[in-house]
Amino acid sequence: MSPPAMPVADTLVPQPAPPDSKINRDILRVMEGTSFGYWLLLLISIASVGMAGGIWTYQVYEGLGIAGYTHPLFWGVYIVTFVFWVGIAHAGTLISAILYLFRAKWRNAINRSAEAMTVFAVLTAAQFLGIHVGRMWKAYFILPYPNQRGLWVNFKSPLMWDTFAITTYATISIVFFYIGLIPDLAIARDRATGWRKLLYTALALGWQGTSRQWKSHSRSVLHLSGLATPLVLSVHSVVSWDFAMSIVPGWHATIFAPYFVAGAIFSGFAMVLTVMIPVRRIYRLEAYITDYHFENMARFLLLTSLIVGYSYAIEYFIAWYSGVEAEQSAFWLRAFGPYWISTWTMIACNCIGPQLFWFKRLRTHIPTLFVVSTFINIGMWFERYVIIITSLSREYDPAVWGVYTPSWAELGIFVGSFGFFSMFFIMFLKLFPVIAISEVKELAIHEKAHGDHGHAPAEA
Amino acid sequence: MPEVDRRDFLKLVGVGAGAAAASGCSDHVEQLIPYVVQPEEITPGEAVWYASTCTECSVGCGLHVRTREGRPIKVEGNPDHPVNRGALCSRAQVIVGRTYSPDRYRGPMARGAGGELEPISWDDALAKVADAIRKSPGATQVLGGDPGDTAGKLLDRFVSAAGLGGRTAYEPLAAEALREATRQVFGQASQPVFDVSDADLIIDFAGEMLEAGPSPIEHERQWAEARDIDAHADGGARLVYVGSRLSLTAGNSDEWLPARPGSEGLLALALAKIAAGEKGGVSGELAAALASADVAAAAAAADIPVADLERIGRALGRARNAVAIPPAPAHASRRAVSAAAAVLLLNEVVGAIGRSVSIPEAAPGRASSYRDVLALTKSMQDGKVGVLFVHDANPVYELPQATGFQAALDDVGLLVALSTARDETSERADLVLPVHAPLESWGDRRPRPGVRGLAQPTFRPLYDTRAFGDVLLDLGRTLGGDVASRLPSGSFRNVLEEAWSDTDFRAALVRGGVFEDTPVRGAALAAGAARIEVAAPKMTGEGDVTLVAFATANLGDGRASNLPWLQEVPDPVTSVAWDSWAEVSLNKAEALGIEMGDLIRIETSAGALEVPAYPRGGIRDDVVAVPIGQGHTVGLFASKEGQGMPGTARGVNVTEALPAAVDEAGGRAWLVESARVSATGRHRRLPLLQWSDNKRGRQLGEAVALAELTGEKKADAHGSGHGDAHGGDHGSDHGSGHGDGHGDAHGGDHGSHEILEPFDPADDAADQALADAFPDEKSVKASPYRWGMTVDLDKCTGCTACITACYVENNIPVVGEDETRRVRQMAWLRLERYIGDGEATLEYGRAHPETSREKLGDVDVRNSPMLCQQCGAAPCEPVCPVIATYHNEEGLNAMIYNRCIGTRYCANNCPYKVRRFNYFDNQLTKWPEPMELGLNPDVTVRGQGVMEKCNFCVQRIQEARQIAKSEGRLVSDGDVQTACQQTCATNAIGFGNLRDDQSEVSKRADNDKRRYYALHVLNTRPAVTYLAKVQRGKVEG
Repeated sequence: MSPPAMPVADTLVPQPAPPDSKINRDILRVMEGTSFGYWLLLLISIASVGMAGGIWTYQVYEGLGIAGYTHPLFWGVYIVTFVFWVGIAHAGTLISAILYLFRAKWRNAINRSAEAMTVFAVLTAAQFLGIHVGRMWKAYFILPYPNQRGLWVNFKSPLMWDTFAITTYATISIVFFYIGLIPDLAIARDRATGWRKLLYTALALGWQGTSRQWKSHSRSVLHLSGLATPLVLSVHSVVSWDFAMSIVPGWHATIFAPYFVAGAIFSGFAMVLTVMIPVRRIYRLEAYITDYHFENMARFLLLTSLIVGYSYAIEYFIAWYSGVEAEQSAFWLRAFGPYWISTWTMIACNCIGPQLFWFKRLRTHIPTLFVVSTFINIGMWFERYVIIITSLSREYDPAVWGVYTPSWAELGIFVGSFGFFSMFFIMFLKLFPVIAISEVKELAIHEKAHGDHGHAPAEA
Repeated sequence: MPEVDRRDFLKLVGVGAGAAAASGCSDHVEQLIPYVVQPEEITPGEAVWYASTCTECSVGCGLHVRTREGRPIKVEGNPDHPVNRGALCSRAQVIVGRTYSPDRYRGPMARGAGGELEPISWDDALAKVADAIRKSPGATQVLGGDPGDTAGKLLDRFVSAAGLGGRTAYEPLAAEALREATRQVFGQASQPVFDVSDADLIIDFAGEMLEAGPSPIEHERQWAEARDIDAHADGGARLVYVGSRLSLTAGNSDEWLPARPGSEGLLALALAKIAAGEKGGVSGELAAALASADVAAAAAAADIPVADLERIGRALGRARNAVAIPPAPAHASRRAVSAAAAVLLLNEVVGAIGRSVSIPEAAPGRASSYRDVLALTKSMQDGKVGVLFVHDANPVYELPQATGFQAALDDVGLLVALSTARDETSERADLVLPVHAPLESWGDRRPRPGVRGLAQPTFRPLYDTRAFGDVLLDLGRTLGGDVASRLPSGSFRNVLEEAWSDTDFRAALVRGGVFEDTPVRGAALAAGAARIEVAAPKMTGEGDVTLVAFATANLGDGRASNLPWLQEVPDPVTSVAWDSWAEVSLNKAEALGIEMGDLIRIETSAGALEVPAYPRGGIRDDVVAVPIGQGHTVGLFASKEGQGMPGTARGVNVTEALPAAVDEAGGRAWLVESARVSATGRHRRLPLLQWSDNKRGRQLGEAVALAELTGEKKADAHGSGHGDAHGGDHGSDHGSGHGDGHGDAHGGDHGSHEILEPFDPADDAADQALADAFPDEKSVKASPYRWGMTVDLDKCTGCTACITACYVENNIPVVGEDETRRVRQMAWLRLERYIGDGEATLEYGRAHPETSREKLGDVDVRNSPMLCQQCGAAPCEPVCPVIATYHNEEGLNAMIYNRCIGTRYCANNCPYKVRRFNYFDNQLTKWPEPMELGLNPDVTVRGQGVMEKCNFCVQRIQEARQIAKSEGRLVSDGDVQTACQQTCATNAIGFGNLRDDQSEVSKRADNDKRRYYALHVLNTRPAVTYLAKVQRGKVEG
């Protein structure tokens, strides 16, 4: 596949890559030594996971009633947060698989952390399937395992598809993440001592860097990319069908699959930015993760923001155009009902904020990037909140409408989910190379060979 | 890596397996103990039925008690009983709960040294009472309600044998004024019997005949019969309601005169005069009685247009068979006797007396009135009462504080309570002699001539209690000497059999009593009838509103408030459960600056109440209405004891704001006080179950104008129908069918097209596509059954007895006040109450329930029971990932509770929102002992985290199928009655096999012109067919 050349007049030019040994040193330095702040952050994360675990245990013991559910709102913050984390999980695979296939070289600096985020976000999201169901101790019923009772699952149910989508996606992203790690693990192995040595030795699978190994490696990455690419599109499509396949006004829309996929990529990139800006700063990785990378991600955000904004508009248009009164009231309620704050937060964060990225100065202005991406994360959470909560609160039968307010338990577990994610990510920083060393080196060699920066950037 | 040797490995495996095994058997082991000697009449798994009589109110409906393995689990109406004909109200449905009430006394209790009630033996307790009586028999008084016919006579014998001071019989809501009025007008101190089954015009003067009147179940049935649209092409009887608020009865009327409370007598007399004029005049005593009537003055006093009065008066005069219903006991004013007399005179004018209103001969026996209670209180205050027996009553709760009764109890030497369960009175007693619960004891009722109901025990008493009659007999024996010899020997059962010796006792037991047809008995006007002076009652207290206390269909006078179902099932009109509310008009609420749930203070001369406000359109501006029945301070469910707040009242007891007022003859008067209403600035969210009464033109609670139905006016065939974007502003007015009072409340055309031509699966091309999409539907065709239901909104009064029956039949958990406030009730069947067709409004934005759309004088109320529609193309089924809900071969949306993992997607996708989720382990942890004994063993008890919903009483279908199978036939029409259908007094619910062309449901579902499917546009192909309510329009003058 030969990459198409793109006009690059207004893009930043990537900095020349440092020499090999410096790359090793710089990147592996991140894994060495731990500061007080590191431990504090880790402790806070673990503590919030502990709190959420406590709440969950209490919820299992006492019943889901400790959450804020009310008739007719049978889904709440748990599902909102589930969809949010599944969305976050999209950036990693998109960057690693699709951008890999398109040979977008700027991905190399961020793909490792994005992949890690994908894995951790999927793991976080998966928790919510258990947290959400009424009888988590029977949740294995959802798996189509052979049993002597003759019980089977319902393949017509979107929740069933969802289960497959999430487990498949988790598997592929873990494998992808791991395969990509192997050469770097070998580098780490060669430099590590003590228990780390044992760990990396085991994980590196005897990687020696022979050309045969490299050949197999790049081939498997290519194939996995091929496998993962449809998943990027399918996972969130399937998640969207959890809603679109129903007859709930506000959910039952054909635009949901592309709308959700765009939203997922949007939120995923936003999360990568939100996390990587501080990481770059703290670990002084400016030489590897350059403003050029961030600018490209900002472009992506702008693109997906426009898709998402278009979807919002189309939803309203179709509600009006369909002539279905229940549909219209659902959308009226979104904008002007008791949840109007959520709706307008969503629109402000997701549609208006990213418009700043039309300007190159703002695309490359790190504080702006950080603030806008953080708000996109907030906005995308609210997007799911708006879709799920407002739709359920006003359905077909006005006698049984209702309002939902999240309970302390839901908010506690919601906070705990961030702890869960960051706990993994913080540990990841110290356990694995945060940037794909081998790929950065490959890029450096590539640059040296060509001596030409002209066609490298922005090929998505 | 450390070495793990074989031993360690096995240890670890063992620990893991042990932990896994331990987690698998968290429930403690229970032992099954089989019968050692099998009782002959009990077959395990088969129900045994006993006929009995309800003791919850003075009507005395017949019961069939269903027992399983020796335990009563459900009651149903006795179809042979002439009063209820198989139907029951909510209060009767839960009578089983009295037996299993956690509030019950488990043996005699005496107040110990520490001031607490402590257990004592029966012998000691009786000896104590006997000692106290012996000291001064004349200072011993008996106060109580109706213990039954024979027991009451035995009590009288006991009182005279022991030489006691006297017996005072009272009921908080007794028709005292009516009895006195009947005496004054017809010379018979008896309770008239009203039969509206053949009426063509019924006028209810705040009589609340469908909820709290003289005989609600009977009148519901007769009302439905009199206006059965199939039997009466002209729509049958019209009901006119006169009263200050849109009560349940008012909501079922065709015309509502929102008259000032207390003006009923004046209006009745004025209407009698107009009707008499229309009839060509009356003469004699009657003419003299009507002489004082002044139509204009009455209209002014009632604040209604003279023209309306004249129109209705003329209609009354012309009616073939008009009947007037006098005010209900709770609406008795200081002029209640003359008001009731005026209504009787109206009946006389229209010729109803002797035709539809029977005046029985004066019944001998109890004749004490509220005035006697006040006299008793006086003698208590004077220290003249040494021993006070209280039975079948709870005077501490029921009597106003203003009577001084509660304080005077301190002056009584020994207060003996003969109670079944803890209540406010028994908690103050020095001695509690616990009596059997209704289903444990013998008894009988004679509510009216020709009706003699027998009550029999249905199982062995749970606790160390005795029958009321046996307590008297045992006490007589303990007193010894003359007293014992003057009382019958043997047990109360012997006394009862003796009393029934004139009939075949065994046959009476089987039938539930002796029922004879008694002819309607007329009566001539008494000599003094003309002297009755009808006037507007005086109100005491200051303020610009009148305090109206009213009895609700479920709680009545509050004696059953400790039965949790009655608290849980929401009030049919307001949808409030577990709390009191104060109804104020929207204008009043605006003036006070209050909204739903804001606490208001109602001050009268007797006291003050603080109640959450319920602003509504259907109430006069000069009225504040508070329901009777809440405000208990004792009882696990009646008070807030079960919520960890013992002694705290649930809601308010409206009697606390009422003075000790009486009517002309000394009967209890409730409608006596003016009140000042003020906002307190505080708020208490009402446990409210209905969000909106605006159906926004959607296909729910449909109605069709009579003219349209009979073809006088062509139905508008709007193709757009409900799918149209603007629920509110298209289509034409219904014209003549609607009164002018509510024209603008309608959102125009509401799909008469769809009412008359519902979705026909045979014609619809979409059907094939659906059948392909839902292969289960194909397999249905192999089964001879497709269960279906019809719900006739024209007959549904919205009394909610069906909901209560459903709770009891299906072991539906009662979730309590806090969970109700979170709207997490578990009801499989709920009542939706819509006002008119509604319109799309911008009120979507509210974070709290919407403003009532009722209007004063508007009666376009649509009561629509909503239950699982058992859809043919059910949205809930495909979304369940584990097939916990599926379509069975008989067309039911079956639920497999054990398979459910609780994703709740089915509930989200159900457009009818009839699925309920067990957020907690409602059944296992929230039913205090011994309530679990009353659970229906045929129905699975659901645990935490599973979904549940209506299944058309599948256990009953199963039972009928087994019987049919053993007889080698198919289940025939009428074999299966669902619990809701069974208890419906008006036969609004039909159930049967849709695949049988000859079944009642098939005929209706296929042919009835009024049929429609709820939310038809969604094409869910429900098995429930609704029949639209018929709008008969106002009475024509």
